[in-house]
Amino acid sequence: MKEQIPFIEVREVHKWYGKVHAVKGASFTINQGEIIGLIGDNGAGKSTLIKILAGYHRPDAGEIYIQGERVNIKSPAHARSLGIETVYQEQALVDLMSVTRNFFMGREITTRGGFLDFRKMDAECMDVIRTMGLSISSPKTLVKQLSGGEKQGVAIGRAMYFKAKLVLLDEPTRNLSVKEVQKVLDFIKNLKELGIAAIFVSHNIYHVFDVSDRFLVMARGELIKDAQKETTTIEELISVITRH
Amino acid sequence: MLKKSISIPREAIIGGISGTLIGIFYATSRGTFLTPGVIQTMLTSAPELGIIALGVTLLMIAGEFDLSVGSCSALAALLAISCFQWGWSPYVALILALGAGAVMGLVNGVISVKGGIPSFITTLGSMLAWRGLVYVVTMGRVINFNVEKQHPFFYTLLVGNVTVFPAHFFWFFGLIVLAFLFLNRHRFGNHIFATGGNKEAARAMGINVDMVKIACFILVGILAALAGVMRATRIRGFYAQQGDGMELMAIAAAVIGGTSLFGGAGTVIGTFFGTLVITFLEYGLIVSRVSGYWYRVILGSLVVLVVLVDRLWMVRRRS
Repeated sequence: MKEQIPFIEVREVHKWYGKVHAVKGASFTINQGEIIGLIGDNGAGKSTLIKILAGYHRPDAGEIYIQGERVNIKSPAHARSLGIETVYQEQALVDLMSVTRNFFMGREITTRGGFLDFRKMDAECMDVIRTMGLSISSPKTLVKQLSGGEKQGVAIGRAMYFKAKLVLLDEPTRNLSVKEVQKVLDFIKNLKELGIAAIFVSHNIYHVFDVSDRFLVMARGELIKDAQKETTTIEELISVITRH
Repeated sequence: MLKKSISIPREAIIGGISGTLIGIFYATSRGTFLTPGVIQTMLTSAPELGIIALGVTLLMIAGEFDLSVGSCSALAALLAISCFQWGWSPYVALILALGAGAVMGLVNGVISVKGGIPSFITTLGSMLAWRGLVYVVTMGRVINFNVEKQHPFFYTLLVGNVTVFPAHFFWFFGLIVLAFLFLNRHRFGNHIFATGGNKEAARAMGINVDMVKIACFILVGILAALAGVMRATRIRGFYAQQGDGMELMAIAAAVIGGTSLFGGAGTVIGTFFGTLVITFLEYGLIVSRVSGYWYRVILGSLVVLVVLVDRLWMVRRRS
């Protein structure tokens, strides 16, 4: 098992914003189905690193390999085609659009001429909603009527449906009630069961710790720790973050 | 039951306003508001505004503005009239004018989207520039050209009377159907809503939001050009002020019809009714013998009122 090719390998990736060195030579690998907790204080470079993988930013130096092949992730669309799906809390869904329209946004099921096949899309969408255990009664519901947790559920369900290999979750539990946080953590466990890897970015180590297999800790742009869950504790991770 | 009464669709409300206006003007004009002559005049006037408003609606849903549509329609119409005068085929003239509209939309789109300038500013500039070009070319003179006499078939096809309905009302109607299908039933419409509703989400899902916006700008340019050529053909001539103020009327029609100023929401049917409301107001006041100077006062108040009611409605629904 240890000899398998990792889904993604990041080698010595750097990113500058003008004079600010936001990511300083990050190197790590993620295996298929592995849940990574990416933690660190504000401004540690977590967001930048995620955005590089999501295709929003191009690294200024370094290499990225997906299943052993060198890639240049050019755009969010390109990242998506490589199997990397992003679930941002505020940026995942369009409030004024229906659940179905959101679900298939950018990858609509169409008939000839590009017209939307609502019957098919509604059915597929409801299938996923049911398997996720979400209580959304109609695929025509506007997303703004959903709770924060339900929105995360739809976005994660979408990543599953489109067979993402790596899901990037940026602060998926922020501003959620305790009950909703638990739901979102369950969704993340679902990803693992399906063999989908995830990077779970959060300030809240307690949320991250439960579901993650491994932790990457960042401080001032540097990756300062890469630890398997068995080899570390919440207390140790907190002390690593606060020491830097 | 209560739930049903709360979720009245926006189109029903605006339809109600149109109906109320018809009633009021019918009463105040002692019935002349609904005589064939007045109806025909309104059907003649509404499509030129409505066609532009359709484009403006799509663009506003995508989250952008175009203040240059009036000037764009004038410059395109001037090009068409010039081609008529040179003796070119009217069809070639129409295609050239639509092409010019597309190019003007492209310029607006590329500068706004790629240059990162708010489209309000970009198109304020192009509104002035294109109107200025019209004055430079015409020196403010009126150009007369009787399209009906020179190209009778073209005239009938574009703006002639087919029974009581003018031809361009049918064009308008066809464009409404097309716009509806594209916006609500087509992949491209889904991308427009996504782009205007949440640009970042659309981008994350792989939608090329820049291209969507630029495409909408081009569409607006083409529709504005079409409306301009229709008007010049219909009134058999061109004057430099043609289409002046059309940009604000088109936005008013869209907004009365429920299009959001912040993008992400709007309907084609709403804009159709918005166009009707503006047209009813314009001619209803005339046949009711109210001074024409009141038209803008009432229209302006109506726009603000509709948006205000909509906001209060939303706040109540949320609580």
